[in-house]
Amino acid sequence: MSTTPPDDTVPDGDDLVAAEYVLGVLAAEERREAARRIETDPTFARLVTRWQEYFGALDDGFEPVSAPHYIKGQVDHRLFGTDAPTLAMPLWTSLAFWRGLALAALVLAMIGFGRDLIQPPSSPAQFVASMVADNSPVRTVAVYDEQTKRLKVTVVAGDMPPDRSLELWLIAGSEAPVSLGLMKSPQVTEFTLPQAVAAKLRDGTTLALSVEPLGGSPSGAPTGAVVAAGTVRAI
Amino acid sequence: MTPEGISELISRVSLRDRAAFDALYASTSAKLFGVCLRVLGNRTEAEDALQDIYVKIWNKADRFAVAGTSPISWLVAVARNHCIDRLRARKRVSTDLDEASDIAEPSANPEQSAIAAGEARRLIDCLDQLDAARASAVRGAYLNGDSYELLAQRHKVPLNTMRTWLRRSLLKLKECLEG
Repeated sequence: MSTTPPDDTVPDGDDLVAAEYVLGVLAAEERREAARRIETDPTFARLVTRWQEYFGALDDGFEPVSAPHYIKGQVDHRLFGTDAPTLAMPLWTSLAFWRGLALAALVLAMIGFGRDLIQPPSSPAQFVASMVADNSPVRTVAVYDEQTKRLKVTVVAGDMPPDRSLELWLIAGSEAPVSLGLMKSPQVTEFTLPQAVAAKLRDGTTLALSVEPLGGSPSGAPTGAVVAAGTVRAI
Repeated sequence: MTPEGISELISRVSLRDRAAFDALYASTSAKLFGVCLRVLGNRTEAEDALQDIYVKIWNKADRFAVAGTSPISWLVAVARNHCIDRLRARKRVSTDLDEASDIAEPSANPEQSAIAAGEARRLIDCLDQLDAARASAVRGAYLNGDSYELLAQRHKVPLNTMRTWLRRSLLKLKECLEG
């Protein structure tokens, strides 16, 4: 069966308008009309969704390009009214902080352990940690893919200090912080975790960023202020 | 990140979870910036558009649940629609033509090399069954946001002819996809 009409007619119908909308060929006025119908006409909206799924196959043709660092700050400013932040380092001594962090991590590790007992081990997972700290403008996000053993960290707000290094630490339970390396770029820094360290990264583990002399902590333990910290969550 | 992971983040964003929004931005902004650059072909405008797009995503995240699409398709659709609306708001088509010619075509057809999933394969196969010029018009329209007006100019045919031409291609595509 063929629905292709004879040569002298323009095929029409809602389904084609939906396809044209998704394809993006319509003029401004026609697009506005189609957008309005998506809001008000569920049948039409479903046609649009189906074409979107079909043409989604071409989405791989859009090459990812890292966006400039300032954009997320602007988005936050528009949505939440937070000032586009600059890094003014609060030097609260970190001993009390680290103790509190270790305790919190311990509690979370126990909860996590309890959960492990009742749940079968799952397939490779993703973990996310949103790292922030009081009095610090730095907000970072870490995403870990268990399959590739790669941890990607992005500074989404605040600046990296020009004359210091930001060092990333993993704190598992009550163990001492383990250095994962230095942030190299505010866009995305990728850390490849050795097996022994990767095994410690799970729901409830803490990640933290501290300010260190250029090149990283000379002692192998954090020495400077913690500008962001957060708990790892499986998603 | 897996589609399930992205879905979960979008759902949490709809519940006003800022940490999830940060994570969603971190894991998807490069893809959506790629969409903006490709469609708008202008870095400054693409940067503006990307901001608008994430504001929209924050405000419209609750719509994702009812959209029923895969999370990446949904995000790309939000980005593409915003960029195409911007493109259409530009005044002169000739400007579009000049700028469109500056946009580099992706080398070695990455959309083909990168696609593996069956659904995706099917669209590519069905596109291949179209006449080559028509398939490339469809692909170009999707990736570059070409308008009927621009396509008609490029192919040197009246706008209505272009419309008939493309609609026939879409009908064939649909028969193939659903056949």
